[in-house]
Amino acid sequence: MEQVLGLAPDAASAKAGQGLGKAGKWAGVGASGRAVWGLCQGSGKAPYQTAVDVSGPAYKCSCPSRKFPCKHALGLLLLWAGGEVAAGEEPEWVASWVGKRAERPERKPGEVADPIAAQERAARRADRVSAGMAELASWLDDQMRQGLGGFDQRAYTELSRLAARMVDAQAPGVANAVRRAAAVVGRGHGWPGELLEELSLIHLIVAAHARLDELPPALADTVQARIGRTVETARVLAEGEQVADDWLILGRVIEPDDRLTTRRVWLRGATTGRVALLLSFAAAGRPLDPLPARPGEYVPGTLSFYPGALPLRAVLTQSAPRLPAPTPIGSTARQALASYVESLAADPWNERWPLVLQDVRPAPHANGWALVDPTGEALELLPATNPWKLLSLSAGAPLTVAGEWNRAGLRPLTCWLNNRPVIL
Amino acid sequence: MGALPEEVRERLGEGGLLDAAALATVYRRAGRRPLRGVEVLGVAGGEDRPLPGAAAVRRLAAMLGGFQTTALGEWLRAAETRGWGVPPEYLPELADHARHRAEYRPLVIAAAGRRASWLADLNPEWRFLHAVVAEGNNTELWTHGDGVQRRSWLRDRRRAEPADALEALREVWPTESAATRADFLTLLVDGLSLDDEDFLEAALDDRSREVRRAAARLLTQLPGSRLQQRMTERLHTHLLVTQGVLAIDLPRTLTPAMERDGIEARVEGLGQRAGLLRQLIAATPLAEMDLEWLRLPAEGVAVGVLQSGWTEAVIREGSQSAPSREQATAWARELLRSSANTGTRSPAELLRLLPPDEWAAAVAALRKTVDITELVGGLPVPWPETLATDLLDQLAKAGTGRDWARLASVTARAVPPEVLDHPITRESTGEEDTWRRRLVETLTFRREMYEELS
Repeated sequence: MEQVLGLAPDAASAKAGQGLGKAGKWAGVGASGRAVWGLCQGSGKAPYQTAVDVSGPAYKCSCPSRKFPCKHALGLLLLWAGGEVAAGEEPEWVASWVGKRAERPERKPGEVADPIAAQERAARRADRVSAGMAELASWLDDQMRQGLGGFDQRAYTELSRLAARMVDAQAPGVANAVRRAAAVVGRGHGWPGELLEELSLIHLIVAAHARLDELPPALADTVQARIGRTVETARVLAEGEQVADDWLILGRVIEPDDRLTTRRVWLRGATTGRVALLLSFAAAGRPLDPLPARPGEYVPGTLSFYPGALPLRAVLTQSAPRLPAPTPIGSTARQALASYVESLAADPWNERWPLVLQDVRPAPHANGWALVDPTGEALELLPATNPWKLLSLSAGAPLTVAGEWNRAGLRPLTCWLNNRPVIL
Repeated sequence: MGALPEEVRERLGEGGLLDAAALATVYRRAGRRPLRGVEVLGVAGGEDRPLPGAAAVRRLAAMLGGFQTTALGEWLRAAETRGWGVPPEYLPELADHARHRAEYRPLVIAAAGRRASWLADLNPEWRFLHAVVAEGNNTELWTHGDGVQRRSWLRDRRRAEPADALEALREVWPTESAATRADFLTLLVDGLSLDDEDFLEAALDDRSREVRRAAARLLTQLPGSRLQQRMTERLHTHLLVTQGVLAIDLPRTLTPAMERDGIEARVEGLGQRAGLLRQLIAATPLAEMDLEWLRLPAEGVAVGVLQSGWTEAVIREGSQSAPSREQATAWARELLRSSANTGTRSPAELLRLLPPDEWAAAVAALRKTVDITELVGGLPVPWPETLATDLLDQLAKAGTGRDWARLASVTARAVPPEVLDHPITRESTGEEDTWRRRLVETLTFRREMYEELS
């Protein structure tokens, strides 16, 4: 039941779905090995036709709701999960829908539909990117010649225009970096220095792109990823480095945006100690795919890593159900920073890094908060962090805390109290 | 420049400003050191309470997340009686709830245990979590505390040592602002006695109207006060029982002496003279009136004026200790009986003066003349089993008409734990989104809540 409700796009849908998860609301319900279906009388004249392909799951409903899955699909699944749906013969409208889904060709991992066309596309893209990088290089040179003084006057329009040009040049990664640089301008006293840092790292991408052939292949992949080349999941599964382990979910960050919701899930292998990142996206208002496990639990499975000098982003193939996990071993503040520096050595553009700090205590620092380790050294929390859950859990005593580090500070994600993981 | 690493300087020399900047940037980021000298906080001393089961905690989380949030206080009370604590990660949200709902505060303080005052020290918005600590007699709080601390000191002091609290108030009286004087004066309601009378009589001549009114209110409630005697005498000049009739001669004007005793020139909705009479009745002790009057026909004024005056007197004395309270109960019973025919403006307040085991019968008798939701809506919850069962029986028989929605929503919250299993929760609720479904949902939610916490 809980699993079904977990599919609901929001609380209202879950509630409405529960209301419809009753046999009295339905007619003509049935289930086959691959699908569940039924008719639900709504406010209209004809009842809604609802069907769920349970292998996906995938949903089909004739109601006008824009929620996905809609309350009818949820109600139907609840009914089914409650064992109230008898087996039956698929009616035509169900059989044809599920049939069409099944026919849809599923390409083998890594297989390309039309190799020649793909090559041509890749070549066109490479040309565009090169042209974009050249434009960026000369723009950067101009800035250095003119100096950054007075840059705040023209920054916004210039950088927005430049970011748009980079999107055109099929370099969305660079476009993001340019937007980040734009956000720095005028913020605080030190912004010219910060801006120079951002621009210098953009310059580093441009310079690396110019000598892509000379770079070690892994580093070349990293540069390509920073520019914004995407690698298909299928290729990652087929060709990426594979590591099997019990993967501890260290925590997750969800960043909603106007158009796109991003979720980062940080993992650490129980035996290998490897860290990894699962990235998911969803259009604003749509649900993200469900988490493989709750923070603080193990997911047994194999990770396939995206190519690069710092293998971090990965695709998970789960091999067994999630498991409870003990409190993870953590490090001191100094060791934690050292692990981030190692990641920088491999990928100088790396912004975020998962940390597990052991026996740290939250304490006030400057205008915010910090976590103090047993040696007395500390890492600051991200300025906007709400510290109260963490403080209440600690009550002054040491805790193990997992979080996401970036230059501005640590974003605490999960902490362990008496071996019990708590999501922050 | 000299502080830059050699590699960076080399690149600068070659004219590669951005090369050098990139190298310096990564240098700087890689060279980040941990902070030193951050002072840690002390550990909150004391024991933690045991935690309830996972299902109970999930329910708490759901309520904090906005589902059936109105049952939160009930959850906390039930957990408190059974000695359960709350997992610490929920305390910040609970504290934020309690900031706006004072009745939650003692419960949240109990649930937070050793963390209550520890968190209160860190977050000024949760200072109320300290309340339990301020119980001791720390005169510092009275002489140097902020408004909230002084108020709670005086309230606690008054409860412990009424005479000391009066003395403390008397000392600072001349230097406090009018608003503070009026506010502090209301705290004397606890432990009110004839020892306070001289002070309150003097306050009837205060510069501030608010203070004068507060003093008059207290003296009206003080059995045996001179103000009560004055009111009694006034009433008896305007009211006479003759030949089985209650003859009323309405007061003509508001005299300065009446005004000093807190009588207002006008009462909303009444003529000036009827208003004066109503106030006189309301301020006269029940002991000085005769229950018989209720049954007599009245002449010279509408019976509603009399009844509303009596109702107010009854409500006032109902909050006092015996024998006033017993008298008020008898009056309340009588007033309700007569208003079963005529209707009264505050039936709910009268009803709560009756012993709870009489509520069900009284509600049944009043049903025809009084809006039933209004009647039971003001009763303290949980209701006695008899009343709850009666009303649920009724609701079970009712259709799905919208008229029942308000009563259903009041009843859903007021049913005592023993009746949450009423047959209505096992009947099919029919249509999708009716009051009946919500009622059953709430009753079931609450029943499961008690089961999880037991």
